[in-house]
Amino acid sequence: MNYLEIVLSWLTLAFVTALCGFVFVKKLYRVLPFFSAYSFALLASTIGVWLVYKMFGFNSLAAYYTFWTSLLFNAAMRSLAIAELCRYKLRVYRGIWGLVWRLFVGISTVFFLHASFDTWGQPNRLAIYALTLDRDLDLASVAILASLLLIHRYYGLSLEPFQRTIAAGICLVCAVDVVGDTILKSLFTGYLFPFLGAASRTAFWFSLQSKFMQAEDIWSAFHLLCFMTAMGIWCYALRRPIPRQAEAPELLPAEVYRELSPAINLRLSTFNDRLVELLKP
Amino acid sequence: MNELLIVILLAATLGGVLLWLLIPGHKSSGTGGPLLPPNVNDVLSVTKHYANFPQVRRALSADDSRYLRENASPQVAKRALRERRAIARHFLNGLHEDFSNLARLGRIAAALSPEVSREQETERLILTLKFQLMYSLTWLRLSTGNLPLEQLEHLTGLVEKLATRMDAAMAEISAVSAGQLRGGLGA
Repeated sequence: MNYLEIVLSWLTLAFVTALCGFVFVKKLYRVLPFFSAYSFALLASTIGVWLVYKMFGFNSLAAYYTFWTSLLFNAAMRSLAIAELCRYKLRVYRGIWGLVWRLFVGISTVFFLHASFDTWGQPNRLAIYALTLDRDLDLASVAILASLLLIHRYYGLSLEPFQRTIAAGICLVCAVDVVGDTILKSLFTGYLFPFLGAASRTAFWFSLQSKFMQAEDIWSAFHLLCFMTAMGIWCYALRRPIPRQAEAPELLPAEVYRELSPAINLRLSTFNDRLVELLKP
Repeated sequence: MNELLIVILLAATLGGVLLWLLIPGHKSSGTGGPLLPPNVNDVLSVTKHYANFPQVRRALSADDSRYLRENASPQVAKRALRERRAIARHFLNGLHEDFSNLARLGRIAAALSPEVSREQETERLILTLKFQLMYSLTWLRLSTGNLPLEQLEHLTGLVEKLATRMDAAMAEISAVSAGQLRGGLGA
């Protein structure tokens, strides 16, 4: 680790600690228990990985296993936090929630299966599995958050600024992770080496290697900066008192929807029929 | 390398969509839940723009066009045609507004219902997408002069007949539904 990375690592630790402090002081665990758990998981894994690096060294087998396991652990906790965010508002709209939770599960399953197929038979198994799963979970997370916002917009529901800010932070973490994981996975599976040329065995590679390491350092610093930005976004969202969850709306009798919906759809289809006739040559 | 590019593009696209949706001030960032229109019957009957059909129909009639071509100077006829196209576009916008109001009512009813049918919601979503597509095509064809106004005249005639028939059919449903909606909200 270079000097900049060490400074950024310490700053990250400070941000994670501040986030956990906010979560604890504002009693966020009463409103969003899984997001609170994710914050503490981030702190625990940051300290854990740092301790292992100190005790066993950066290039040790213990450091390798701890790092990749913590990556998977954080991804799993983040997925739970996203599921909680989806349920937070939509659960009071029982009909819509009953309709869309299957969509969210479907999106997650598709990406999970993709990760399983993608890593099948690859060398460097733990790293590849962790990277691919993390990447696909990140992609699923962004897709689910986008679907959540689109559903809110479509049905005219509101997403409170607090939830929106939490979602924005998660989105940033996931989007940056997707790019980072993909580049790393490509390196591990050797996709990028042919791109760099057969020069890897020549003197040219050695001259290129330092540039490559430099690029990796820049990416690492960028990744840490984005991560800190996400922490900053979450801390910013937590600076004010946590809003109480809005009271459940008064739902209409089920018969209203049963009668109204087919009638509306019939009417809408007549609009379309007229336009189709109009467009006929 | 393809996988790398696809994933990065996908992440960038999804990230962009999310950021766009997260910007405060969008419809999704309102403070309340779904609100029913003050008068459900107004939306359900959807006669706001249908009411103008006779005038629109007259304005777009083939007889008028023929009369203009035969009696007016080419300059006047051209200007009249341009104005008639503008009327047709207004009419289309009105149809769009009617459609949007009706679709919105459907979505609000779904949001406030304890049970929602997947088939009904999927059908409404498809109908909305289909309408948006056809509306854009029609608007484009009208603007470029590719759509003969006589065809639109035919449409107004059809819609007029349909409106009368549909209003009769809807009156009963809307009376029951609006009563229940008010009852449900007052409960």
